[in-house]
Amino acid sequence: MSYDDVEIEDMEWNEELKSFTYPCPCGDLFQITKEELQIGEEIARCPSCSLYITVIYNMEDFIGGDSNKKTIQPSNQQPVAVA
Amino acid sequence: MEEREKTEETEEERIRRNSGEVWSWGAGTDGQLGTSKLQDEHLPQLIHSLNYVANTISHLACGGAHVIALTGNDGKVFTWGRGTSGQLGHGDQTNCLNPKPVKLLETLYISHVSAGWNHSGFVSDCGKVHTCGDGSFGQLGHEDYESHQSPIQVLYFDSKHVEQIACGMRHSLVLLKGQSGAQIYGFGSGKCGQLGVSINRIKIVSNLPQAVKGLENVEIRNIYANGDHSAAVSADGHVYTWGRGFSGQSDAYHPEILSSPLKFSKLALGWNHALLLTDAKEVYMLGGKYHGMLSDPGKMSFELHPPIHEVSSQSSYGDERVSILVKVPYLNETKVIDAAAGSEHSAIVTENGEIMTWGWGEHGQLGLGNTCDQTTPQMVHLGDVLPSDNQTQLSVYCGSGFTFVVCVLSQT
Repeated sequence: MSYDDVEIEDMEWNEELKSFTYPCPCGDLFQITKEELQIGEEIARCPSCSLYITVIYNMEDFIGGDSNKKTIQPSNQQPVAVA
Repeated sequence: MEEREKTEETEEERIRRNSGEVWSWGAGTDGQLGTSKLQDEHLPQLIHSLNYVANTISHLACGGAHVIALTGNDGKVFTWGRGTSGQLGHGDQTNCLNPKPVKLLETLYISHVSAGWNHSGFVSDCGKVHTCGDGSFGQLGHEDYESHQSPIQVLYFDSKHVEQIACGMRHSLVLLKGQSGAQIYGFGSGKCGQLGVSINRIKIVSNLPQAVKGLENVEIRNIYANGDHSAAVSADGHVYTWGRGFSGQSDAYHPEILSSPLKFSKLALGWNHALLLTDAKEVYMLGGKYHGMLSDPGKMSFELHPPIHEVSSQSSYGDERVSILVKVPYLNETKVIDAAAGSEHSAIVTENGEIMTWGWGEHGQLGLGNTCDQTTPQMVHLGDVLPSDNQTQLSVYCGSGFTFVVCVLSQT
């Protein structure tokens, strides 16, 4: 059973993981790569547990290799400011 | 614990006996259990590094994978666990395996703290509020989307007296003290209505605190946030919720009163459920349709009890918004004195000094020695516990996938 349905715009791009991520209730992150999205994968998994979410997105937005299309607007991970 | 001869109490045991104990279990791969290890624990672990201050801990705030401990006697703050967004306030972005004082707050007397998914809030006794950690959604309230690795004062409230802060997944709420008119402010992501600032269904992200609408004439005692939920309990025992709907209900964009004849004293929010403690020390659950049924059914301890759904309340919004409030079953009229909610698990303390847990158990967050889910409350056995008499007082706290118990000797 999918834990939740999450729109791609609500996921965050994580540069380190090269994945779109969303908080998992276990404390880790659900993750899905651009490559997975390009081939129509809609399940984002958590590496730490058995839960997964269904990602709501338009596959067309990810086809063509241009990852910076304007149609994809995930929340950007902001750099941490040095205090 | 290693075996000792019982004849003579060691110095360490004597000190412990005079102070208290802190226990933790569940997901631990970010160091959030305070065990000095990066691993899950399926059984309660005694946290030695906190024993000496256990008696003074007035509150633990547990977030996605970090913990904030507040000491009541001197208003000091310790943090540990995941620090990759700066949520520990130590001036870096590293995880911390052991409780460490937050240096930047040492000159202040902190009276209230809250831990969100990856951000933290601290309120000082002079009414100033400081935040740090992930600010990607404006949840730090600094009018930007920056993250901060040291606590920074939220200047919006500089001329006001802040009493509490509540941090959710991507939003924060602030409660002002003795304020007529707007007492609650929200900032961060309001995608599900959790800011309570808009009566329209607008997808809103606000990095500037905005007044929550609809509670202006209600005296609010406590505010709560977790996941995409927000809630408040009023001085006269009413519960208000807004944000993500429970059990598939539509989201609420402004606070809605939970219509019930019961008077509530405390509330605990998970990501899909809430626990409500009544004045009569009974515990009810709101939502939680799949509570204790998340894992692979093959791995569950399959005593599926018939759902005893004692519907005690329905909100008055017609068929569209029927809130199912369920009395937590199998407690046999045992009174409950404390309750906490993780993202998908629940923990309570009974008047008999028992700790009970249920819900999702995949990371050992139920403390039952396994990774099974449970649909009904199960007894947790702390090892080597302090004398279980009326002098000990237990408090329970839950982070996303982990649980803490603080056990102190009551002042007699």
